[in-house]
Amino acid sequence: MKNTSEMLPGTLDMLVLKAVSLAPLHGYGVLLRIRDISGGALDIPQGSLYPALYRLEHQQLIASEWGQSDNNRRAKFYSITPAGRKRLRQETAGWNQMANAIAAALSARPEEV
Amino acid sequence: MLRFLRSLLGLPSNRADFEDRMSEEMRFHIDSFIEDLVRSGLSPQEASRRARIEFGHIDSIKQDCRQARGLQLLDELSRNLRQSARLLSKTPAFTLTAILPLAFCLGANLAIFALLDGVLLRPLPFPDPGRLVLLYKTYPNAGVLRDGASPANLYERRGRIAAFSHIAISHPDAAIVGEPGATVREDILLVSTDFFSTLGVQPIFGRAFQEDEMTYETDRVAILTHDYWTRHFHSDPAAVGRQIRMDGQSRTIVGILPPGFTYLSSKAVIYTPYASAPNERGPAQRHSGRGGELIARLHPSTTIEAAQSQIDAFDASVAHEYAHAAMMAAAGYRTKIVNLHADHVASIRPTLLLLQTGVFFLLLIGSVNLVNLLLVRASARNKELAVRLALGAGRWHIVGEVITETAMLTSLGGLLSLFIAAGAIPLLAALGTEHLPFAHRITFDYHLASIAMLASVLTGFFAGVPVAWLSLRGSVGAALQGETRGGTAGHAAQRLRHGFMVAQIALAFVLLSAAGLLRLSLERVGALSLGFPSDHLLSGHISLPWPAYPQPQMRLTFTENLLTTIANQPGVHAAGIVSNLPLSGNNTQSGVNVVSRPLKPGELPRVPFAYSVGGSYFDAVRVPLLEGRLLDAADSRRPDRVCVVDEIFARHYWPSGGAIGERIFLGPVLKKDTDAFTIVGVVGRVKQTSLSETTSQGSVYLPYGHRADNNFYIVARTAHAPDTLNATLARIVRQIDPDLPINDVRSMETRITESLTSRRAPTLLAAVFAAASLLLASFGTYGVLSYAVSRRRREIGVRVALGAPPNAIRMQFLVLGLRLLLGGTCLGTAGAWAAGLAMQKLLYDLPPLYWPNLAAAASVMLVATLAACLIPSHRAARVSPIAALSG
Repeated sequence: MKNTSEMLPGTLDMLVLKAVSLAPLHGYGVLLRIRDISGGALDIPQGSLYPALYRLEHQQLIASEWGQSDNNRRAKFYSITPAGRKRLRQETAGWNQMANAIAAALSARPEEV
Repeated sequence: MLRFLRSLLGLPSNRADFEDRMSEEMRFHIDSFIEDLVRSGLSPQEASRRARIEFGHIDSIKQDCRQARGLQLLDELSRNLRQSARLLSKTPAFTLTAILPLAFCLGANLAIFALLDGVLLRPLPFPDPGRLVLLYKTYPNAGVLRDGASPANLYERRGRIAAFSHIAISHPDAAIVGEPGATVREDILLVSTDFFSTLGVQPIFGRAFQEDEMTYETDRVAILTHDYWTRHFHSDPAAVGRQIRMDGQSRTIVGILPPGFTYLSSKAVIYTPYASAPNERGPAQRHSGRGGELIARLHPSTTIEAAQSQIDAFDASVAHEYAHAAMMAAAGYRTKIVNLHADHVASIRPTLLLLQTGVFFLLLIGSVNLVNLLLVRASARNKELAVRLALGAGRWHIVGEVITETAMLTSLGGLLSLFIAAGAIPLLAALGTEHLPFAHRITFDYHLASIAMLASVLTGFFAGVPVAWLSLRGSVGAALQGETRGGTAGHAAQRLRHGFMVAQIALAFVLLSAAGLLRLSLERVGALSLGFPSDHLLSGHISLPWPAYPQPQMRLTFTENLLTTIANQPGVHAAGIVSNLPLSGNNTQSGVNVVSRPLKPGELPRVPFAYSVGGSYFDAVRVPLLEGRLLDAADSRRPDRVCVVDEIFARHYWPSGGAIGERIFLGPVLKKDTDAFTIVGVVGRVKQTSLSETTSQGSVYLPYGHRADNNFYIVARTAHAPDTLNATLARIVRQIDPDLPINDVRSMETRITESLTSRRAPTLLAAVFAAASLLLASFGTYGVLSYAVSRRRREIGVRVALGAPPNAIRMQFLVLGLRLLLGGTCLGTAGAWAAGLAMQKLLYDLPPLYWPNLAAAASVMLVATLAACLIPSHRAARVSPIAALSG
C-alpha cells in the first residue's frame, strides 16, 4: 500500500480530477474510487483529501452540489467542470510523457550509452 | 466592505454557513467510514476509534481547507481591523490628535485636486476629445505671438488639409436679445457650418447651420442652448421655426443643442452663423485678424505633428498669392496647431501645478507628523511586541497589524477630509476660481471622494512602513533585556524621529518661503501704476448693434449725445470713450507705417496698440501729456486727420524728439497720402494688458470720428465713489437708445483688483498652507521634544541629584530643538531655491533665491521652534530627582 508521502507532488490533484471525471462523487466516494481504480495500490491519507478538494473547487476545476447519498444522508457531491476536464487532459498527457521518459531512462543498457 | 471583497475574490459570502457545511461534510465522511468498518466486522467502538485516527486531526484539516479556499488572509485582515479599532477607541485623545491634522491636510489636497481635475485632467466633454486642435497664426519677429483667425483662414483651408476631418471657426460676441424695452445683452458665439460636427455634437431638435446661411444677407438664423431653450421657450420642441429678436432683427430658430453643451468656457447661450462676404474669404484677407478661433478635428490615423507639417506645406504653397508675402515671411509668419484642451488651460496650468505641489508638501508634513506620533507610541509598545515576537508571532503578521492600524487611522482622516473638502471648494470659488477656465466643472463628486479614500489608504500604508520597520528592529530582544528606557532599541527610533523632524521643518520652510515670494511678488505688482490715476474712474462697455448703427456718422452722433449727457451729470468731472480700455481684455493692435520712414526690404512695421478715443477721454483718464496737445471731442468732427502717440512709439522712431508733425498710416502698407494721420501730441505710457506688462510696441490714439468702432467703453472721472454712478450710467444709455444695455460697469480699481486675482488667489492659498505647515511643524517639534524629555526623566533625575543646574538641562533640550531647526533650514533652503526656480513664471521681478525673504522665513521658523521647545525644556529643567528615580 502506497502513501501520499511517497507520491509525486501534484498527483493527488490529478487523481481526484480523474475520480470525479467518471461520475459525481462525495469526498468519501472519491477516496474509495481512487482505491478501486488503482486496484488498491493507492491509498490516500484521508485528511489530505479535503484540502485538495477545497483547493480544486476554489480553482473552479471541480464544482460541488449537495445531494442524497446511498445511505440516504445529505452529502456534498463533486463533479468535474469543463476547465477541470481540460486540466486533467493536460496533466495526463504530461504524466504519460514523463512516465515514458523515465521508463526509457531506466531501461537503458550499458551498450546504449 | 468585507462582503464586497469576498464576492470580488469569489469567496463564500456567508461564513457561518461555510463552516457548518464543512463540518457536516467531514462528519458524513467519518460516519460512512465507520459504517464500512463495522460492516467489515469491527465493533462499533473500535470502528469509531480507527476512523478518527485515520481521518487525522480534524481542526488542522479544517484550517487547511479554509486556507485552500482563500479565507485565511481575509480572516487575518478582519482580525487586524477589529484589533486596531479597539486600540484606537481606547485612546481617543491620541486618535483625534492623529486624525484631525491629517484630515485637514487631506481635505486641502482634495480641494486643490478638485481644481486640477476639473480644469486640467478631465477631458473635454466631446467624443474623442484628444483629436480636437486649435490653429492660430503667429508673427514672432513682429512681436505678435498670437493672432486670431479670419474667414479666409477657414475657407482657404477647408477640404485641403488631409489631416483634418472637420474644420470650423468661431467668434465670441454679444447680442441684444428681446423685444424693445425689455432687451437683455446675451453672450453669443458666431460659428461656421462645421462647428458642431467638428466637436462631434448634433442639435437634439432642428439642424446645424448650412453653407447658404454664411453670408451677411442670409445669416438670420440661430441655434439655442438647451438651457436657454428651457428658460425662454419652456422646452417646447415647436420653438424650432419660431423667431427670436436679436440686435433689433428677427432670426429664425433652426436648432436646439443637447443639454449641458458648452464650448470650453464660453458662456454663449445663442449660436449664430459666422457670416462673411466672398471678398473676405480670399488671400487678401488671410492676415487680417477678425479675432476668430479656428478649430479642427484630426483624422483618427494622424497626429498633430503630421497636421502641422501639412499646414506648413500648404501655407508655403499659397504664400505667393498674398501681395506682401515677403513681409509676412520676415515677420516669421506661421500657423501653429495645438491641442484644444491643453491650449485652453495653458495659462493657468503652472499656477495649479504649483498649488498642488504646495498642498502636497502640506500632506507630507501631516504624514510625517502622524509617523512621529506613531513612532512615539510604538516605542512605548516595544516590550509588548518583543514578548509577542519571542512567543513566535510572525513578523509579517506584526507588519500587517501595524499597517492595518495606520491605514485605519488615515482612512478615518480621509473620511473626515471629505467634509472639509466639500466645505472648502465653495470657499475656493470666492477666491476667484469661478473665473478659471471650466469653472463649472470644479465640483465635489463621487469620483473625487473615491480618489480621496484611495489616497488616504495609501498614505496609511506609507506612514505604516517606517513604524513597522521600527517595531521589528526595535524589538529584536533588546527591549527584553530589562532597561527599556534609553536602551539601544530607542536610539534607532530617536534617529528616525529626528530625521523626520528635520524633514518636516525643511518642508515647512519651503512652503513659507514660497508663500513669501508670492506675497512679495503680489505687493510689487500691486504697487505698479497703469500710467494714470486709477481712483474715481468708472467705465462700462457698450456694443452698438450693426443693423441699428450701420454708418460711422450714426455711431459718432450716438456717442456725442451720450457723452454730453453724462458730462452734465453732477459728480462727473469728465467723460470720454475708448475702443479698448486698459485691462478690459480687448487689446487691438495694428501695424503702423511712418511716412518719413518707409520700410526697408525685410523690415517689419511696428504693431502698437490702436485706440479710438472720443469726448474728453484724455481729461477723464488723465494720461500725462509730454509734448504737443491732446485729442478732444472736436477732433472727431474736423476733416484733418490727427493722432496722438505714446512715449514708447515716439522714442522708437524719434529718440531725440520731434515726433510732432510727423505723419503715420494705419496698416502694414503705405496708402494714399490723404489717409495719413498727423501726430499732434505725445502722451505717457499706459499699460494695456496687465499691471506687470513689461514690453510694449507703443500706442497710437485716433479720434473716434475717424475710426468709429461699434464696440467701446465709456470712461468717466467722478467726484465721489465711482460705483454710485452705476445706475445713472445705465439709465442715460437707455434714454438715448431703449434697446441698448450697458455692460461690464466697473470702477478702474475693481478692474485692477480683478486683474490681480490670478496672483492673489494662489498667494492666499499658499499663505494658508504655509501657516498650517508651520503649525504642524511646531506641533511635531513639541511632540518629539516632549517625548525625549519623558524618556530621559531618569537620566535627568540622576544628573539633577548629582548637582546639574536646571539651566544646563533646559539648554540641552533647547539646543536639541535648534539643531533640528538648523538641519531643517539648511535642507529647506535648497528646497526653497528649487521652488523659486519652478515658480519663476509666476513671480514678478524676483530671483529664485531672495535672501530677505529667506531670512524672514527662517526667523518665523525660529520663533515657532523656540515656542515649541520652551514647554518641554522647561519641564525637563523641573524634573525632581526623587520622583524621577522612584518612578
